Amino acid sequence: MSQKSDELKIYWNKIIYAFPILNDNLSSECTDTEYEEIAHIITGLSIQVKIRDLILVHIEKYLRHNVAPSFWSKFTKIEEEIKGFQLFKSAVNDLYESVNSFSILLRRLTLLNNTCCDNRPIFGERDVIQGFKQLVRATLLSQLPVTFHVIINHFYKLSFNVFDNMKAYEDSFMDEDACSGCWNEYSECNCAYIVKVFYDTNRKLVELQLLERLAGQVLTNFIQQRIEAHIHKLCTGTFDLSYIALLEKWLDVTVMTWLTRIYCAGSSEPPPDDENVQNAIAKFKQKLRYYLYHSYTKLRIDQLFIIIIEYPDSRPAISDIKVCLNKTDLQKSLCKNLQNALETRLLHPGVNTPDILTAYISTIRALRHLDPSGVILETVTKPVRSYLRNREDTVRSVVSSLTEEGTGSELAEELAKFAADNDEEGEKEEAWDEWMPDPVDADPRNTASDRKGSDIISMLVNIYGSKELFVNEYRTLLADRLLAQGVINTDKEIRYLELLKLRFGESQLHFCEVMLKDISDSKRINALISQDKNFEEMNNKFASNAMILSAQFWPPFKDESLELPDEIKEHLADYTKAYETLKGNRTLSWKPHLGNVNIEIEIGQKKLDLTVSPFNATLIMHFQTKPEWSLDELHEMMKVPVNVLRRKITYWQSLGLISEKSSDYYVLVDGSEACKSNVPSNQVQEMICEDEEAESVMASAHDQREGELQVFWSYIVGMLTNLDSLPLERIHQMLKMFASQAPGTECSLNELRQFLDTKVRTHQLFLQGGMYKLAKS
Amino acid sequence: MKVTIKSWTGVATWRWIANDDNCGICRMPFDSCCPDCKLPGDDCPLVWGACSHCFHIHCIVKWLHSQPQQQCPMCRQDWKFNNK
Ligand SMILES: [Zn+2]
Ligand SMILES: [Zn+2]
Ligand SMILES: [Zn+2]
Repeated sequence: MSQKSDELKIYWNKIIYAFPILNDNLSSECTDTEYEEIAHIITGLSIQVKIRDLILVHIEKYLRHNVAPSFWSKFTKIEEEIKGFQLFKSAVNDLYESVNSFSILLRRLTLLNNTCCDNRPIFGERDVIQGFKQLVRATLLSQLPVTFHVIINHFYKLSFNVFDNMKAYEDSFMDEDACSGCWNEYSECNCAYIVKVFYDTNRKLVELQLLERLAGQVLTNFIQQRIEAHIHKLCTGTFDLSYIALLEKWLDVTVMTWLTRIYCAGSSEPPPDDENVQNAIAKFKQKLRYYLYHSYTKLRIDQLFIIIIEYPDSRPAISDIKVCLNKTDLQKSLCKNLQNALETRLLHPGVNTPDILTAYISTIRALRHLDPSGVILETVTKPVRSYLRNREDTVRSVVSSLTEEGTGSELAEELAKFAADNDEEGEKEEAWDEWMPDPVDADPRNTASDRKGSDIISMLVNIYGSKELFVNEYRTLLADRLLAQGVINTDKEIRYLELLKLRFGESQLHFCEVMLKDISDSKRINALISQDKNFEEMNNKFASNAMILSAQFWPPFKDESLELPDEIKEHLADYTKAYETLKGNRTLSWKPHLGNVNIEIEIGQKKLDLTVSPFNATLIMHFQTKPEWSLDELHEMMKVPVNVLRRKITYWQSLGLISEKSSDYYVLVDGSEACKSNVPSNQVQEMICEDEEAESVMASAHDQREGELQVFWSYIVGMLTNLDSLPLERIHQMLKMFASQAPGTECSLNELRQFLDTKVRTHQLFLQGGMYKLAKS
Repeated sequence: MKVTIKSWTGVATWRWIANDDNCGICRMPFDSCCPDCKLPGDDCPLVWGACSHCFHIHCIVKWLHSQPQQQCPMCRQDWKFNNK
């Protein structure tokens, strides 16, 4: 028994002699010949598996107690960059050495393992060496200290600086005293040393397969910073070039060479037989490419508002974003960002409506190109649309830009384009084989063809949801123009009207056709009447003409009263007689305040030739007969409300012909005094024309609609008299029931609310707790 | 000061001199046109009957065509055109 145990003790000592790790020691004096003998003993005893496993346990313990703690002990939170550099370098060196000091042990363990036939994996790997490396990594990482990145940062920051600078140094002549790589005097430049250490350390980390885990984040950060800086430098101000190819090339050449050098100790080619390194580089590159696209897209998203404003010059930039959106997940952020930009830059009272429209049109065009499905456009421009809807002059701006002369009016071009497209293709059928499903984030309430098919004009018209309102506003604008200009190029207007008809349909614009015909008919009638014998005598005093309108087809006029001077009234009465003779059974009703008058004023030495409104002509004629008037007298004479008189008389005051002697008492400034007004008459005239045009003589679309809604008022009064008080919805319902026969009385809930609100404002209704009530009269 | 009017361009609306506002047949205003027409006035004139009722010419012609007897749709008297 004791002999046996003695024998075993000897064997055990021999095994420890071969594998001192079993005593937690690494240095072995055992020679290979001695080991062969000991290996025989182990296999003889059939304990190879037990011994192997015991060794593995001890290796693990050794790494855990010695290698890892001594490695991490150097990772302190040090401030100085160069100290951090040295610490990291020595930590990696020491680790590398201590891992290497396992080499004899590992060789013997491999032999031992080969005699075990259990095929058990060693720390998850088939092969002892691989298993060991795996164990080293796992043990190290299990003890990762919180501040491990501090010296790694120092190390790479310093290295990168030198690294960059070396490249710069090759390219250009440096004329500073100190090396801009290591910040030392040139005589004491450390760069060569730092680069050597840099390569050496990286090589060791690659071999240990620790580079990525330890320095990956830091490396990535540094490279990303460089990618970002490069993108900003290259792409910031210009949108008329595509940068994707350039950036890809830069990544492939510059960044990848650089990355390869880090992985391959300065060589720009990866070793052809080292798959680990190749894979690591390929994986890294994938990450960096994603980052490249991400950064570029983010930059473009930040600039998107300007890019859109510059569209179509910025088309290449938009095309780039289109490519990028497929490679990144930034569509949501793009929408949010652009929506914000539009809101802060456009949607406030300081921006005038035509500018908002221009930007909106650009947005439509650019986003159409960016995303043909229309989903982004729909999402992003929602606030723009609702903002425009609440601006009073939107329709008017759209219409006037539609009818704008010459180049530069996008909408006018768009309108002409629409007509041309229509001529060429007729109805466009959607090709079944080009069908694409809607993106998942599309609003299901709108169909794909709604989003894609509608052109810019319909998008603008759709802000209102109705063509009618739009066409109405066009009619009002046309009416103003026809009446203000008198002589108008009707041919051109008719051509334009044809374009609009293609767009909005015949019936909607029929009224406008009649209006244009009225104007050209009027010219003929004027010519005929001026030949009338009875009228001729009258017309010798001054030429009188008329614009004779078909009232049913013109928008309603603002009601304004004006009593004309007797001689004018007589003249117009004669015109009416001549008209009645010309057109049997028809007569004329004059709108005295409308039209224009060409007058010549002689005052002192000066002659003024002016085209003014009938009001202004009448007023100055009264001052010719009597040089001083009180406001009340003028009111009596002209039948114009005093506040209107007071406002309009400023025209003559601005010319220096009339002055307000005392409150509401006006006198003619005659003779030499008036000549002091040294405003050149041409200039004055222009100023006035503008003044006259600025004010529409038509009731606005809003006023018109309100007029239409008045139809409801009697119904509403009736309801509220009977039922005392009602909420909005109930009134709406009842109107639908009772008033549906009345013409033009489709009325949305919203419209009704606005209408009722005006009644509240004018104290005809009370609104209390959501209930409308008649005001007590 | 001397003011000389060189020309006066006024604005007026025209209307038919008739004893009603709307055509008794199509119910449209006289100053508008009948449902078959697009342009009012010369292109869609009014005619008067001996009974003094008047209609769009296109309306009364159509009416008379559709009736066995040539009567005014308003007063049922025999219809005769009055060249007033
Ligand atoms: Zn009729
Ligand atoms: Zn007709
Ligand atoms: Zn009759």
